[in-house]
Amino acid sequence: MQNFRAKLREDPPRRVLVADDDPVMRLLVTNVLKQQGCEVVVANDGRDAYRILQADSQFRAAVFDMTMPFLEGLDLIRYMRSENRLMRIPIMMISAEQDIKLMASSFSAGATAFLPKPFTPEQLQSAIRMLVRTGSAIRSAA
Amino acid sequence: MFSAREKTMSFDQIPTGEKAESASVITNDAVNMELLSTYEELQLNDGSDLIVELIDLYLVDAAQRVSQIREAAIATEWVSLKKAAHSLKGGSANLGILQVAATCEKLERIDSRDWQAVAVLVQFLEYEFARAAEALAAVRQRRLD
Repeated sequence: MQNFRAKLREDPPRRVLVADDDPVMRLLVTNVLKQQGCEVVVANDGRDAYRILQADSQFRAAVFDMTMPFLEGLDLIRYMRSENRLMRIPIMMISAEQDIKLMASSFSAGATAFLPKPFTPEQLQSAIRMLVRTGSAIRSAA
Repeated sequence: MFSAREKTMSFDQIPTGEKAESASVITNDAVNMELLSTYEELQLNDGSDLIVELIDLYLVDAAQRVSQIREAAIATEWVSLKKAAHSLKGGSANLGILQVAATCEKLERIDSRDWQAVAVLVQFLEYEFARAAEALAAVRQRRLD
């Protein structure tokens, strides 16, 4: 039993925050994360995600849509990068906008990855796998 | 919203510069079934049918966005129209509903002062969404049978 508890402490569930106002995107991202053994916490818009992040920082990674009501993906990244308890969480932005300037502004705000829509299931799986691995590597190094 | 069967789009109404592109678009299917079916690989082993779930979610969400776009066009609210068109574009393109996505992109890029052209594109969007909804409903029914 002690070994089991120790194992749980070492390897907590890989929780990922997903914020998107599009229910189709939420379902796709959630399914890929579940396929990869992650626990998913879902926010329906930027404000919902902000409220969750205020109370909870135990996330291996976060996936945000760029354009959401109330608070946009970029606002959430800037908030997370300004908070000690959230600043190491890798973030992937998803956007229907393929503008290189928008991509650059995501990275300069602190995004780890950027996935433009439309994407294939393979691209989504691969991007999320990379994001979760990055989160796990940061956690191991901490 | 009107049914695709009830409405025949007049391409003379499409603004200059859009006509040729739109005429070629009409020969394609409303939904790229091959693209839609690629999502089967994201299916979880929980007894659900992901494609049916995606169709159900899309039809409800997209219908709301089309309404938002129409209302924004009537009220000449450019920011609301552009945001709704942007959201609808991304989800539609991902599921292979390419004509809806293409029409949303035109709405995003059109000159905001040209409300007459916007009105025509909104009408075309409603037509394309109706066609896509019929095709998706047929796919849904086939999968449930």
